[in-house]
Amino acid sequence: MLLLENVKLALSSIKMNKMRSFLTMLGIIIGISSVIAITSIGASAEAVVNKEFQSFGTNAMYLYMNWEMTADSGIQYSDLILPEDIDALKARFPEDILYVCPSLYGSSEIKVGRVKGKLEMEGVAADYNKFYRMDMVYGRMINESDIQGKRERIVIDEKASRHFFNKADSVGEKLVVRLGGENKELTIVGVYRKEPSIFDKMNTGSSFITYVPYPLLQIGDDTAVALMLYINGEKNPTELGGEITRYLSRIKDKDPMFYKFESAEAQMDMINNVLGTLSIAIGAIAAISLVVGGIGIMNIMLVSVTERTREIGIRKSLGARTKDILTQFLIESMILAGIGGIIGTALGIGIAAAGMGIAGVAVIIKPLTVLIAVGFSAMVGMFFGLYPARKAAKLNPIEALRYE
Amino acid sequence: MNDEIIRVENIAKVYENGDISVTALKDVSMTVKRGEFIAIMGASGSGKSTLMNILGCLDRPTDGSYYLEGIDINEKTDDELSSVRNKKVGFVFQSFNLIPRTSALQNVELPMIYGKVRAREREATALKLLEQVGLSDRSEHMPNELSGGQKQRVAIARALANRPQIILADEPTGNLDSHSSLEIMELFKKLNREEGNTVIIVTHEHAVAEFTDRIITFKDGRIIGDQTSGGVA
Repeated sequence: MLLLENVKLALSSIKMNKMRSFLTMLGIIIGISSVIAITSIGASAEAVVNKEFQSFGTNAMYLYMNWEMTADSGIQYSDLILPEDIDALKARFPEDILYVCPSLYGSSEIKVGRVKGKLEMEGVAADYNKFYRMDMVYGRMINESDIQGKRERIVIDEKASRHFFNKADSVGEKLVVRLGGENKELTIVGVYRKEPSIFDKMNTGSSFITYVPYPLLQIGDDTAVALMLYINGEKNPTELGGEITRYLSRIKDKDPMFYKFESAEAQMDMINNVLGTLSIAIGAIAAISLVVGGIGIMNIMLVSVTERTREIGIRKSLGARTKDILTQFLIESMILAGIGGIIGTALGIGIAAAGMGIAGVAVIIKPLTVLIAVGFSAMVGMFFGLYPARKAAKLNPIEALRYE
Repeated sequence: MNDEIIRVENIAKVYENGDISVTALKDVSMTVKRGEFIAIMGASGSGKSTLMNILGCLDRPTDGSYYLEGIDINEKTDDELSSVRNKKVGFVFQSFNLIPRTSALQNVELPMIYGKVRAREREATALKLLEQVGLSDRSEHMPNELSGGQKQRVAIARALANRPQIILADEPTGNLDSHSSLEIMELFKKLNREEGNTVIIVTHEHAVAEFTDRIITFKDGRIIGDQTSGGVA
């Protein structure tokens, strides 16, 4: 009952000094809004990174030569990864290597009728779409017989299909590309669609990403300097990567460190780690302003206690106990800080939403963060309100009544 | 039959201020019976306000004992004294001491808030008390919208909120014109005669003291006179 009275009392006292209350809250507002904005931006950025990696496949692994070790002697033929090495890897890790393909890329300017464009061609093995997140909307993906038969096939993006053929379904159409100095006529066997990624924006010009059987990109011989793998997701990618590269080094009779790998999951973890640490660090700096805000509250509460000394004396003469006066001022400072916390949260969410809106990314607000922020600001209010409230509560009633 | 409501035995009050000690009360003894109407008179600095503060449990004597309705005040903690003030004593001050920017009604409700009276009951009692002091049409007014006499009537209504036996008034007419003073004194008299409240008024005005039945005179911290007027025992 007394609590409700105190809340009412606090609100009316805050209302009575609107400007002063607002200025007092400002410290808390700035502190809370920056903490909320920073953590939300951090969480949103993390979500973006995770989404990118998920579409790429978190089980992706890239295996390559240690270039530093070849710097002195130059690349030897024996360094290169041969088809039989790939077979050996598959035989040694049948459960763990789900997909393996020499990492090969090519590009070509093409012309269909009068429409010009540039194709980026990625060499893939069969069933690439089972690992890489892409939707086949027409036709099919490159399959095993395309690989075996080194067939001149290509899978293009829906946008490319519309660009060159002015229709979504261009399965069966042909594209003439230049590969290894000669023209090749590739038949479109599939059209895919891919969710837009933030990396698309970095892709300038009218270049389209397409997929072809990897043997088509092996010009001259069938060696590779790097491999693209998808591994068993239940295994620790770092351990498995180590096993695979050590095995490869052994069968190639090389230094155990000669082949290296990067795993998508490890990279994702690393980026998330950096983002997490960064937002905690910046958030902590922003939290310092909360302390400054708290001191502001303490200051104004001390002023308020002095201003209301006589009122405190009257209340005491009417039967208010020490505890009642303490609660009254404590609640006032907590409400002051709490309102600041709520305004700050709203502002912080606004800032995060605006910032992420510019980047074109959905903002992520963690309800827990909001709860903690408002709770923490009320705690700041309590902590910094305690001293003034105790000072008020301990006033001698007679002296307080005499105060002018 | 114990109709003795206040018993003060050899109390003294000494204010220590660094090296200087000021004696405000010396060896004061007195008793007050239930339903008495008393004026405490004396020049300023005679110790009458100090006695009033002790009687109202706002302050403690340095020496001697004070029993209020048989309760030994010296044995009570500060918070227990708050509760005694809340339930047993109603204060009326010279400078009204209403809480600013708080309506007359809310001012009257205040002692009941600390007395943990329910909100609905509080409001009903406060309205009744304001009616009793003739201010039912001013209940929503703020103190600064009221005249001195009206303020003091709100203060009296507030003093009555928890139905205390004792009303202590420290120079209640000190800031009022003669007309309002008269009204306020009539109100005290009515409370004493009709409601049976024990009323103790500190004053230096003879006109005010005339209203009461017993006049206790102070000088230099001692009682120098205690006369009952009008043949009322």
